[in-house]
Amino acid sequence: MTTTPSYNDVCQLVREPIDVPALIRHVRAPEDGAIVTFDGFVRNQSHNRPTLYLDYEAYESMALAKMREIAAELHEQFSIHCVAIVHRLGRLEIGETSVFIAVSAPHRAAAFDACRFAIDTLKRTVPIWKKEYFEDGAVWADGELPPAPAATSHAKPAS
Amino acid sequence: MATVSQSTRLKVLFFGRLKDLIGQAEDSVNSADAATIEQLFAHYAARNPELAKYRPSLVASRNQEFVAWDTPLHPGDEVAFLPPVSGG
Repeated sequence: MTTTPSYNDVCQLVREPIDVPALIRHVRAPEDGAIVTFDGFVRNQSHNRPTLYLDYEAYESMALAKMREIAAELHEQFSIHCVAIVHRLGRLEIGETSVFIAVSAPHRAAAFDACRFAIDTLKRTVPIWKKEYFEDGAVWADGELPPAPAATSHAKPAS
Repeated sequence: MATVSQSTRLKVLFFGRLKDLIGQAEDSVNSADAATIEQLFAHYAARNPELAKYRPSLVASRNQEFVAWDTPLHPGDEVAFLPPVSGG
């Protein structure tokens, strides 16, 4: 287990609209030269079916822990300064931001790479689910199965 | 409210389509009823056969870490069965 350095990162789950300008201001510092952001928002259709709205739920304590792990990993892998990762839960209307990520860095390449890594990892490992509401019903969106160990090291024969 | 000896229990959480299927988000079982994650899942699949078909498309967590199905359980553990995630 690595200890978490005292970066000024923000990892949050919120139920109100995400304050994008505030997050960009938060990660911005005089020693930086670039901020790359990812704004994920609700699309008006899914597989050509018109979407009415989405409803997001999370395993909140674990989701926050996984978001903090992502932030920590960004600092290990990329020369960046500060990270903000915020996901919104509950009912979201078309066009509303569901996830926002901002990464600041002295130079742009690290910020781009880190931001891409952050959203790709979030979509694969953070326990959040969305239900899509259509005119004729609702479905849980197809998702990605998070990687998990196949067996413990002291595995017994499969039953 | 008042909790009776929580330490002998396992806390079990269901999310997404599993929550809909089980009809509840949270449950508590006697830790003696399941020695591993797999046995805990079997405990619910026995009562709800529909659940078994989801087994290949689930991951499990123990105390908020993704774990293997043969992971041993201990009193006080928090276990969750997680469908494919779809945040973002």
